[in-house]
Amino acid sequence: MPDSNATPPRPAVFHILLALAGGDLHGLGIADEVERATDGTVELGPGTLYRSLKQMAAEGLVQETVAPSPETDPRRKYYRATAEGRRVLAEEAGRLARIVEVARDRHVLPGSA
Amino acid sequence: MSREGPPRGPRLFRWALLLYPAAFRRAYEEEMTALFEQRRARARERGLGAVARLWVRSLTDVMGTALGERRADGEKTDEEGMMKTWIKDVTDAARRLVRTPLFTFGAVAIVTLGIGVNAAAFAVVDAFLFRPPPFDDPTRVVRIFQDSDDGDPSSSSFPAYRDMTAFRDVFDAVAAVSPEAVTWERDEGDESLAIAYTSAAYLDAVGLQPVLGRWFEPALDHVGEGFYAVVAHRTWRTRMGADPRVVGSTLRLNGQVVTVIGVGPEGFHGINGPAVTDLWLSISSTPVGGSFRVANLDRREDHWYDVVARLADGVSIEQAQAAMSALAARLADDFPDLNRGRGITVFASSDVRIHPQVDGSLYPAAGLLLGVVGLVLLLACANLANLLLVRGMARGPEVAVRRALGASGGRVASLFLIEGLLLSGLGGVAGLVLARYLLTLFLRLPVPVPGGGTLELALDARVAVFAFLLVLVTGVLFGLAPALRLARTDVAGALREDQRSASAGRRTSAFRNALVAVQVAVSIVLLVGTGIVLRSLVTVGAVDAGVDVERLAYLGVALPRGVAVGPEASVTFQTIAERMAALPGVTGVARSTRLPVQNSGGTTTRFVEGYIAPAGTGNVELNYNWVDETYFETMGISVEVGRAFVLDDGVDPNPIVIVNETAARRFWSNGGAVGGRIRGESAESPWANVVGVVRDSKVRTLDEPETPFLYFPLSRAAVGRLYFMVRTDTDPTVLTAALRATVREVDPTLDVFEAGPLETHISTSLDPLRTGVVAMGGFSLLAILLASLGIYAVVSFVVARRTAEMGIRIALGAARRRIVGMVVRDVLVTVGVGMVVGLGLAALILPRVAEALFGVGGLDPVAFGGGAVLFLAVSAVAAWIPARRAAHADPVEALRAS
Repeated sequence: MPDSNATPPRPAVFHILLALAGGDLHGLGIADEVERATDGTVELGPGTLYRSLKQMAAEGLVQETVAPSPETDPRRKYYRATAEGRRVLAEEAGRLARIVEVARDRHVLPGSA
Repeated sequence: MSREGPPRGPRLFRWALLLYPAAFRRAYEEEMTALFEQRRARARERGLGAVARLWVRSLTDVMGTALGERRADGEKTDEEGMMKTWIKDVTDAARRLVRTPLFTFGAVAIVTLGIGVNAAAFAVVDAFLFRPPPFDDPTRVVRIFQDSDDGDPSSSSFPAYRDMTAFRDVFDAVAAVSPEAVTWERDEGDESLAIAYTSAAYLDAVGLQPVLGRWFEPALDHVGEGFYAVVAHRTWRTRMGADPRVVGSTLRLNGQVVTVIGVGPEGFHGINGPAVTDLWLSISSTPVGGSFRVANLDRREDHWYDVVARLADGVSIEQAQAAMSALAARLADDFPDLNRGRGITVFASSDVRIHPQVDGSLYPAAGLLLGVVGLVLLLACANLANLLLVRGMARGPEVAVRRALGASGGRVASLFLIEGLLLSGLGGVAGLVLARYLLTLFLRLPVPVPGGGTLELALDARVAVFAFLLVLVTGVLFGLAPALRLARTDVAGALREDQRSASAGRRTSAFRNALVAVQVAVSIVLLVGTGIVLRSLVTVGAVDAGVDVERLAYLGVALPRGVAVGPEASVTFQTIAERMAALPGVTGVARSTRLPVQNSGGTTTRFVEGYIAPAGTGNVELNYNWVDETYFETMGISVEVGRAFVLDDGVDPNPIVIVNETAARRFWSNGGAVGGRIRGESAESPWANVVGVVRDSKVRTLDEPETPFLYFPLSRAAVGRLYFMVRTDTDPTVLTAALRATVREVDPTLDVFEAGPLETHISTSLDPLRTGVVAMGGFSLLAILLASLGIYAVVSFVVARRTAEMGIRIALGAARRRIVGMVVRDVLVTVGVGMVVGLGLAALILPRVAEALFGVGGLDPVAFGGGAVLFLAVSAVAAWIPARRAAHADPVEALRAS
C-alpha cells in the first residue's frame, strides 16, 4: 500500500477520478462532468483524457465496465473507479483540503478575514 | 452525420490522430473524434474564434500526448512496435520484389554494374592519387628532385644526395632510394622482388619504425659494410608466413647472400603510391645490383636516386627550396659540364604521388576513368529510376487506395524509398563483389609500375564507404523520385480517374523521356569513343615496324646468374648461332641485344660531333642496339648509305657505329652522316666513326615518332644476354621448339627467357591499346544495353497505358502498322534528341581523348557515323518489340481490360 508521501496524481487523473466518484461514465461523460464540476475552467483535451484513462487502467485506478443500460451506445466504453482509485482520490482530496486550510489560515481565501 | 460522407473537420482531426501508435488509435480514435466533434459543435455557436481556439488546443493536446504515447511505446512492451512497422515495411517491399523476379533481377544487375565499376575505379584512383601516405607528420616530409637533362624535376645522383644531407639546419633527415627488380632465389623457385636501395635516414625521413628488428644504421650507407635487408611488412606477412625468426635469417638475392635485420613498418610499402616495395636493401648492399650500380654511387652523371627528406622543426618548404636552389647553383659552378642550368626542386610529399613526371599523366587518366565509370553509374541510375517510375505508375491506384485509407504521403514515400534502398543495397553488395573481381582483372593488365613490382590495391574501408555512399545516393534518389511524384497524387482524383487516361502524368512522362534521352546521349558518346580508340588500334596495328616480321622467330638467351660475362660466352653464343643456321628451314640467324618495338632497355648519353642539341647539356640520350654482321640482312633492314658491320670489325681497333636514317637526318642535316663522329659524354672517351646509315625501324612502340637509333658491333662487346633472330621459310612458331633444343644442346645451363615469332612480340606491344578498346567497348556495350532496356521499358509502359485506345483504334480498322508507328514515333523523337545531344557531346569531348591516340582524329567520321547508325538500329529493335506486341493485341481483350 503506497504511503502518504507518494507522488500526488496528475490533475487530469484527479479530475477523472472525481468525475467517476458520482458513478460509472463513458469518456465523453467524464469530459462533460469535469467541465461541469469546474465551471468550464478545466477542459480535458481528447488526447489527455484518453491517454490518462489508458494509463489509469494500466495502474489499476479505473476499470472498464459494461454500459449501465441497454439504450446506450454499445460501442462506448464505460469506466468505473476501482477501490484503489477511490483511495487515491480520497488521499488527494485530503491533501488539497489541507492546502486549502493553510490558505485559509493565511487569509488567502476571500471571505476568511 | 450527413450521408455524403464525413464532414471535413473530423477528417482533418482524424489525420492528426495518425500521429498516435496504431494500437492507441484503434482503441480511442472513435471516441476522441466524437469528443472533438461535440466540442466543435458547441464552439461553433460561440463563433469562429472559439473554433480556432479549439483547434489549436486540441491539436496541441494531440501532438503532446501522441509524442508521450510513442515514447512510452518505445520504453515498454511496444519496444518492438516501431521495429515491427519498420520490419513490416521492409518485408513488404522484399515481398513485392520477390513477386517480380525479372524486374528485381534487372534492377539489381543495373545497380551492381554501376556500383561495381565505380567502386573498382575509385579503389584504383584512390590508391594512386588520394590515399594519404602513412608518414608520421606528413606535412614535414618533402621530396627533392634534381632536374633531368630536359629541365624537368627527375631523380638525383647519389653524390648530389650526399650534398643535400649536409644541410642539417634545413633537414632532420635526408634519404636516398633507388628502386630495382631483383631475383629472390628460394627453394620453391625464383621470385621477382621489387626492392629499393635505401639509405639509413629513410625511416627517420618518413617518421616510421620497423615492427621487428632494426633499420639500417648510417654505417651501412657505404659499400663494403656487408649486405643487409629489411623486408616490407606486407612481404613478411604474405610471403614469409609472418615468421618472427626472419630477422637474422639470410636470403639469396641475385645470387648474393643478404642478411635480414628487420621487418618494415606495418601498412608501409614505399613512397611511390600504390607501387609496392617488397624489401629494402642498404646502400652497402649495392653490389647485389651489379658493379655498374656500385660505380654509379660516385657518378654525378647518373641520376638514379629519389630523395625523401624530413624538414627540420620550423623550416618551411620555401626555405628548403631556397637552400636547394643554392646547392644547385653551387653544383653548376663546381661541375659546369654536368650541372649547368640543372635545378633542384623541393615538393611537399602531398604533391608527389608516384613521381612528378608520372603524376602529370595520372590526373587526366584518373579523370578519364572516373568520368567513364561515372557515366555508367549515371546510366544505371537513370535506368533504375525509370524502371521504378514505370513500376510506380503501375501502382498508382494502389498508392491512391493507401492514401485514402489514411496512409500519409510520407509513409507512402517511405515505402518506395525502402524499395529503392533495398534494390541499391543488394546491388551495392553484389557491386563490391564485382569490384573485387574487376580489381584482380586490373592487376593483370599491363599497367606500368615503377620498379616493376606489384600494386597495392584493395577494397579497403575507404572503398566500402564510397560504395555505401553510392548505395545511399542511388537508392534515395531513385526510390524517392517516383515516391515524391506518386505521393503527391491527388487521392480522390487518382481513384476516380481511369488510370489509362492519356492526359494523366504528362510531367511524369516528360521526366521519363528525359531519362531515356540522357541514356541515349551517354551511350552515343561511349560508342563513338570506342570507335575512335578502335580506329586508332587498327591504324597503329597497320604501322610498318620497319623490319620484315614474317617468318621470323626470336629467342632470348641469358647466361645463368653468377656466371661471369667474358669471351667464353661470346664463343658459346657464336656456336649456338652456327647450329641454328644449320637447322632445316632456317635461312638466316642474327644476334642483337634488343628486339625491335621493345619498350624497355637502357639508353646511352652521347655527344655528336658538330651537333648542338636544342636544350640541355649538348649531349643526346639515344636508344641503341648491339648487333652482329648478319643482323640487317636477317631483319630486312636495308643499308641506305655506307655499309653494314662485317666480321673484321671485331679486330679493328677503331670504334665504329651505324645510325638509322632519323639520326642521320637530325644530327647531320647537310648529309654526310657516314664519316661523322660520335663519342661518350666525357671528353676523354674515344670517337666512333659512323660507317653506315640504315632504314628506320620502330624502337620502342609502333606509334612512336621518328626516333634516332644507334647500332654498335656486337663483336666488340661481351654480353651475357642477347636475342637470336632466326629467319625461316617455315612456320616460326614451330621452329621455336627446335631453337630451344639447340640452345640446350650447346649449354644446358643457359636460360631461355623469351621465345616466339617476332610478329607476336610486336603485336603484344599493342596490348595496352587493345585493353583500352576492350574496356571502352565493354562500357559502350553496357551503355547500349542499358539504354535499349530504358527504351524498351518506356515503350512497354506507353503501350500498357494505351491498350484500350489501341484496342479501339484496331477495332475501328486502323492498320496495325500505324499503331506500331504511333507508339514508336514518340520514342524515336526522344531517341533523336538524345542522339543529337550525344553526338554534340562526343564532338566536344573526343578530340581531347584523341590527342592521346595515334593516327585518328577526334571527329573521325567513320566512328561518328558508325556509332550513330549502330545505335539507331539497336534502339529501333528495342522500341519495335513491345510496340509490335501492342499491335498484335486482340482488340476485344484490350477493351475488356479497361
